[in-house]
Amino acid sequence: MSSALATIRDRARERVGGGYGGREFAQSFGIIAVGVALLIVFDLTASSFLAAGNIRNIFMQTSVIGVAAIGETIVMLTGGIDLSVGAIAFMGEVFVADLTMSGHSLGFALTASLLACAGMGLLNGILVVVVRIEPILATLASLLVAAGLGKLVLNLRYLQPTNPVFGRLATTNVIFNLPIMVVVMVGLYVVGAFVMQKTQFGRSIYAVGGNKRAARLSGLPVARITIAAYTLAGFLYGVGGFLTVGQLGLVSQNDLASANFQAIIAVLVGGLSVSRGGLGRIERTLIGVLIVGMMTNYQTIKGIDPAFQQALLGGLLFAAILVDRLIRGRS
Amino acid sequence: MFGISKRFPGTEALVDVNLEINQPMIYGLVGQNGAGKSTLLKILAGEYRQSSGEIRIEGNAVDISSPRRAHELGIGIVYQEFSLLPNLSVAHNISLGQEPINGLRIDERRLFADAREVLGRIGAEAILPERKVADLPLSERQLVEIAKVLTIRQPRILIFDEPTAALPEDDVERLFQIMASLRDHGVTIIFVSHRYREVLDVCESITVLRNGRVVGNLDRSEATLERLVDLTLGQKAETVFSRQAHSVLDGDPVLEARGLTVGTKVRGVDLSVRRGEILGICGLLGSGQNELARALGGDARNVGGMIRVGDNEVKTDSPQRALRHGIALITENRQDEGLFPDMRVAANISIASLGKVLAAPAVRMLSRRKERRLTREAAAGVGIASGVLSRLVRVLSGGNQQKALLGRWLMRRCDLLVMIEPTRGVDVGARLEIYGQIERLVHEGTAVVVVSTDVPEVMGLADRLITLYQGRITAEFDPRVATEQQVSLAMQGALAEIAPERDTEVLR
Repeated sequence: MSSALATIRDRARERVGGGYGGREFAQSFGIIAVGVALLIVFDLTASSFLAAGNIRNIFMQTSVIGVAAIGETIVMLTGGIDLSVGAIAFMGEVFVADLTMSGHSLGFALTASLLACAGMGLLNGILVVVVRIEPILATLASLLVAAGLGKLVLNLRYLQPTNPVFGRLATTNVIFNLPIMVVVMVGLYVVGAFVMQKTQFGRSIYAVGGNKRAARLSGLPVARITIAAYTLAGFLYGVGGFLTVGQLGLVSQNDLASANFQAIIAVLVGGLSVSRGGLGRIERTLIGVLIVGMMTNYQTIKGIDPAFQQALLGGLLFAAILVDRLIRGRS
Repeated sequence: MFGISKRFPGTEALVDVNLEINQPMIYGLVGQNGAGKSTLLKILAGEYRQSSGEIRIEGNAVDISSPRRAHELGIGIVYQEFSLLPNLSVAHNISLGQEPINGLRIDERRLFADAREVLGRIGAEAILPERKVADLPLSERQLVEIAKVLTIRQPRILIFDEPTAALPEDDVERLFQIMASLRDHGVTIIFVSHRYREVLDVCESITVLRNGRVVGNLDRSEATLERLVDLTLGQKAETVFSRQAHSVLDGDPVLEARGLTVGTKVRGVDLSVRRGEILGICGLLGSGQNELARALGGDARNVGGMIRVGDNEVKTDSPQRALRHGIALITENRQDEGLFPDMRVAANISIASLGKVLAAPAVRMLSRRKERRLTREAAAGVGIASGVLSRLVRVLSGGNQQKALLGRWLMRRCDLLVMIEPTRGVDVGARLEIYGQIERLVHEGTAVVVVSTDVPEVMGLADRLITLYQGRITAEFDPRVATEQQVSLAMQGALAEIAPERDTEVLR
């Protein structure tokens, strides 16, 4: 009798809890709504905003940050944070450009550069897992190391790689009038979402970020999973660096200087939490990236002072965090 | 204290409690968890207000409206959980909140002098006031804790709430000397402990609480371990759960441990668990039973001795390795160490068996279909409705959450399941279900170790029961013939004469 009552009560409690996915839905819906609202406002106030050419521009401008943000998302899902996004991407950009210009094949240059970036990611993972340094400090140190290595190789030069493939990244259209680099970004999001939702690795990342102690007691190799996440992230930053060469055509000292903030803001706008892992979706990061890209693009069309643009980006970050609080507080 | 009652919504924590202490003495207060000790102490310390009743100190009715007021009245409390700030110095901790002021600044010189003086009063001159608390061993931190309480202007009543649970034996002795010397200086000590032998050693008078009522006031001369145990348990000793069928204890040993040690908490334990049996391990808080369980499950450091699984000696130095040998662990801390709150129930169940639900092993891709089928099987096996599987585990009740954890290990199929406090935070109805699920696991051939401070629970559930005291096994019982009194006495460290039944033997 009492056990039957308890069962009924359990059921009632579970229903009151809102069933599953209420928050997931609120978050996905919320961010898409914000994106569409911005789209409408921007289109009404800047006539050329939704022109095909400008849409192409927005995607092109966001593809580097977009790819890097996949890596940042994976790291943040484990409950960490990676401040070395921009610096590792910059290092990769310099390495790949420099190696092709000193006579190596593109294949070799790209492989070496991606390996170096993955290596920096591996270093992050080892510092966090083995040496047990807080992620924010460990990746701050690698930020300096990676940026320093990049600048060392660049040595105050400007590099203008001559290999035609770089140019084609931005100019050769594949489908819907979108160039290779955009297709690469979207493709990586598709793969990323698949990996995170449908594979053992992805599930393990969510588990480690959701509850590290429980993951350990469930027999998951927590250390290996975390290190793999940072390493994979480093690799993706390297891909971002490679795309940067195509996007800019020129490699210089200050490339990707604001990439850190843009990537982290995009991830946060996409609904990930700095304080808690295991929550969030790769797909939503893409929407976050596009929102950040749209804002930047709109401000450029409107000729808004870059300094002011930066302030607005900060405002967007505030807004993202507040919305996150609201949704979280309600559940 | 006269006629003290305290009502919380839905329960009466204290009913008409009288407590009279006529002269400075060491006064014992005992009772099981939930008997009302903590509530009584918190009323004295000004953290709760009594619902009715009166407190008089030296004849005057007083109103202890806040901890500050309690301090003014000379009432201090030494808590069982340490309240020190590890990064501050000893002296700063001692005077925290009442630092001597010189103008606008803290008078550092007086601060350290005061600390030295008060440490001297309890014979702890050896602790330098400049040292950081984090650098002190546990026993010295306890002394600092006492010194901190002594800074209240005129201590008249000091409450020690389970002060010995974390201390090694030598330090316990020293603590008692300090308590005695405080008493000689006119301070009344109220000593709260689950360790009745200590209470009997040091207290001049003892009050026993049960279900919020005073059930006994004993003088030292009339108190014995047996009487205390009987009084705290009461007559009821009702069985919480009774097994449908006890296991036949002739299965092969799944696991054997010889001379197992964990730091200083477990000091040489031999045990064996057979296929298809539930082994209960009982001990008072801090007797080493949780550490023992974690050592088996690969979640303990400084483990010594030998563990044998089947025919092989194994090292369970990580949960991953323990699981490889078929040993799973469910800890007492479900939220922090068991569940993934933001994942669905199904994912919570399958997380330890992802290798079984792969569609394409080469890319380690999960198969939704396999996962759904196997998690449904596991859920059905532990009594979770399949509709619940798609909910987030955080919205489930404690009972269903615990069932989800059982389901996790049912899906993985382990040989030995170690559970610490299996029904903590689970309401009564769901408890019976959990017991039933554990029993079913055992019928399917799994061995289960249940560790609990709740004696009736273990007695109802186990095929065999051992008690731990100070990290050693004190007795082994057959719960069908043993009484709760006998088990409780063994948990208190008494090697009482236990009826020499066939399956019952006293170890060392």
